Amino acid sequence: MSETMLEVKDLRAGYGTVKGFVRAVDGVSFTLGRGDFLGIAGESGCGKSTLAYAIMRLLRDNARIESGSIRFKDKDFASMAMAEVEPHRWADMAMVFQSAMNALNPVLSIGEQLTDAVHAHRNVSQADAEAMAVDMLRLVDINADRLGSYPHQLSGGMKQRVMIAMALILKPELLIMDEPTTALDVVVQRSIIEKIEDLRRQLGFSVIFITHDLSLLVEISDALAIMYAGRIVEYGAAGDLFSDPRHPYTKGLMNSFPSLSGPIVRMGGIEGRAPDLLSPPPGCRFWPRCPYATDQCKSGDGPALREVGAGRSCACVLEGSLR
Amino acid sequence: MKYFLRKLGMLVFTLFISVSLNFFLPRLMPGDPARALLDKMENLQPEQLDTIRAAFGLDTSDSVLVQYGHYLRNTISGNLGISFSRFPTPVSEVMRVAVPWSVGLMGLCTIISFMLGTIIGIAAAWRRETKLASLTVGFFSFVRSFPYFWLGLVFIYFFAFKLRLFPIGGAYAVGTPRGTLAWWLSVVRYGTLPALTIIISSLGAWILTMRNNMINVLAEDYITVALAKGLPIQRIKSLYAAKNAILPSVTGFAMSLGFVIGGGLVTEMVFGYPGIGFMLYQAVNGKDYPLMQAIFLFIAVAVLIANFLADIAVMLLDPRVRDGAK
Amino acid sequence: MIKDFFKTLISNRKSLVGLCILGAFILVAIFAPLLAPYPPKIDRLETIVNTVDPALDEELISEEYPSDSQDVLTYRSTVTREYVKTIDYFPLRARPSSAHPLGTNHAGNDLLSQVIWGTRISLTIGLATGLFVTILSLTLALLSGYLGGVVDDVITFLTNVMLVIPGLPLMIVIAAYVTMKGVMPIVLILGLTGWPWPTRLLRSQVLTLKSRDFVRVSRSLGERTLFVVFREILPNMISIAMAEFFAASMAAILGEATLEFIGLGNVTVVSWGTILFWAQANGALLAGSWWWFLPPGICIALVGTSFVLINFAIDEISNPRLRKR
Repeated sequence: MSETMLEVKDLRAGYGTVKGFVRAVDGVSFTLGRGDFLGIAGESGCGKSTLAYAIMRLLRDNARIESGSIRFKDKDFASMAMAEVEPHRWADMAMVFQSAMNALNPVLSIGEQLTDAVHAHRNVSQADAEAMAVDMLRLVDINADRLGSYPHQLSGGMKQRVMIAMALILKPELLIMDEPTTALDVVVQRSIIEKIEDLRRQLGFSVIFITHDLSLLVEISDALAIMYAGRIVEYGAAGDLFSDPRHPYTKGLMNSFPSLSGPIVRMGGIEGRAPDLLSPPPGCRFWPRCPYATDQCKSGDGPALREVGAGRSCACVLEGSLR
Repeated sequence: MKYFLRKLGMLVFTLFISVSLNFFLPRLMPGDPARALLDKMENLQPEQLDTIRAAFGLDTSDSVLVQYGHYLRNTISGNLGISFSRFPTPVSEVMRVAVPWSVGLMGLCTIISFMLGTIIGIAAAWRRETKLASLTVGFFSFVRSFPYFWLGLVFIYFFAFKLRLFPIGGAYAVGTPRGTLAWWLSVVRYGTLPALTIIISSLGAWILTMRNNMINVLAEDYITVALAKGLPIQRIKSLYAAKNAILPSVTGFAMSLGFVIGGGLVTEMVFGYPGIGFMLYQAVNGKDYPLMQAIFLFIAVAVLIANFLADIAVMLLDPRVRDGAK
Repeated sequence: MIKDFFKTLISNRKSLVGLCILGAFILVAIFAPLLAPYPPKIDRLETIVNTVDPALDEELISEEYPSDSQDVLTYRSTVTREYVKTIDYFPLRARPSSAHPLGTNHAGNDLLSQVIWGTRISLTIGLATGLFVTILSLTLALLSGYLGGVVDDVITFLTNVMLVIPGLPLMIVIAAYVTMKGVMPIVLILGLTGWPWPTRLLRSQVLTLKSRDFVRVSRSLGERTLFVVFREILPNMISIAMAEFFAASMAAILGEATLEFIGLGNVTVVSWGTILFWAQANGALLAGSWWWFLPPGICIALVGTSFVLINFAIDEISNPRLRKR
């Protein structure tokens, strides 16, 4: 495991509503090494986007970080003042947002949107900034003459690649990607994933890749974290999780993939729905949907994420006894 | 380009419709006003009768189509007939005197109102949590429901009648030689209350629209991205938020212009401001149909042209429209 | 869903205030005869006092005896009554007093009564026109948005043309030509100049809904057009249609007041606008008779404000981003 670059410890964050505080991230901890690829998977509403925004200190309006720490470059990003955060944001840690359709300003050209990111952090001439922009566009296979194009003139895949270029333009060490391929078709998804891999090899940044589509992550992640109802329930090497899931939820997820070959089997899936984060069930959050739930599971704070092997953790009391 | 041509075509067509409407309206209305007018003017000399007939196109010897042709030809060449109430002054002469006052008053007020309203609306959305924002929104919502003319009356009562700060009516100090500094100053002084009336009444609509647009835009993802990129607040406020929020306002500008002009007309009536609004008031009361028609035509043309200019502005601001993507 | 909508409307503070104000005015309009001290157009008070009690005098006029068993007597009876009739003419253009809290106008009519009775006409014209415009534009929007094609092209074109022609001047010109005076022509004029704006708004809403999945499903299931329109699309347009109703009603009230003020429309009918007309025509402003022209305007403003408040609430309900957080 390479040197630790990002360490998140016991992070809690959520949204203040009239009915109370919705804790979308409830005690999340993990570490990320330099150059690693961490995938975070979970269903809609499990808090993964909130986690990403929290790390980037992008929570706005009624969303905020409640407690915990985010150690990055020897500083705690969770407690720092905004003025201290801003120089690092985008220059050292950047984000690729979900729907590029809405993430690009419709009335500015993509060249302007690329160069203003540069101007916000570096004191360079417009010509130099444009040169940087052209370089980045070339890296994502977009022609330099597109610099003056407007977002509506680009296809969905192109827009997403522009977002990637925009995020990487200052050569950050960490790239957080929030469901970057969700709005695209499978073929384009593939090309984007390959492009990210390619760029990672060239530029050496770490990636946190957030998605609800496990099948994408299993191939490219070094490590995989499964999130459920605001907590990480299982963590480990992607291959291990795929072949040997320890948590009932992970098991259910892995069983939800039909295989391309072999006989047609009746699919599993997981019954029920994710809990309401305003008032989650007591004990382990998953027990209402868990086929193995015992009385022990239904009370208390819920099982903590425990190490169950080398680089492997699981948050289930029945861990290991399920085969 | 296609957008431009389409809008230009629309302009020409609606101009044509307005002109034609002007012609056909009196002939379609129940109770022929022309006949009534003619009957009213019993004690006319025979020559005058003929002139009136001709001026109003009551020579029923020609078919409607021929009359229509004459009308179109006359209108394009600027012959708008003879005013009944100011006989024998031609209508175009009456208009020539009145138009500058209206264009000055309403033109200025519309521009001020639009700019002020946009700025206040942006601020009200940016700092929507503050008390000031809610108060502003509340105040203007209330003021918006006053009829224009009533607000004018109230202003006259308080500022002109009670406090004697401003004159009660008119556009300038009668007796002062035109063009002198004193005259211009009096123009400003006389125009303050009417301008205030129009601006305050129309400000509310601009503020509320801009505020709502801005709030919607601020919730968009590209604003979050801009914040993440660390862009200076001024840039986000202007090029990312305002530039997008203002588009619906500009699109709706022409429609709002119609309302502002309507209100301006009534304000002129209340203040006796010698613009086309006041002329319209007198024309209505004096049943001066040629003058009424000409005024309506002028207003319609002015609004249509303004609408066209607003469309051009949208084209310049929004790249999606330029490419016909919308 | 519709019930929820109304429940939310009542719980929102802004709309509650608006609804209360509107409700108050509606009550005033309904109970005008009870609330107003006098009928709107009378200018005097007649009191009759009997000075002598009525006396019944019977006078025998004729007697006839047609037979031994029958008398036919003819009487004439008259009631004599002496009374004093006191006619108190209301003062003309009087300042507010205990007898006339809002003073009187040029003809001696009690202004408070006029304002109260005027509520009926002004509110009726406003709400009726609002209803007319809303129904008309809703129909056009549904036809245009849902049917598409030529129907849509024609209606959209007409709407765009009418939209650019300024409303008030058009209203003034039409009203000047119409020689019939009365309430109906005003409603028609206001309605026929007021439909384009809501139509355009409602049409774009219809288009948005039409492309939504639940409508698509309904159509692909083969539901008839009328069913889709009335059961799927229309219920989702309630909030925006209501917002348009209030906006149109406010425009109508302002429009009516303006037209009356200029002198178009029937100046013998008592409405807030005509009160202002007579005030202006009689130089109320120059005489400083604020009690004459302030109250009607304030009433118009209050009704308008109630509409705006209700609309605010509707906006917040349909667009969650505008809500307080």
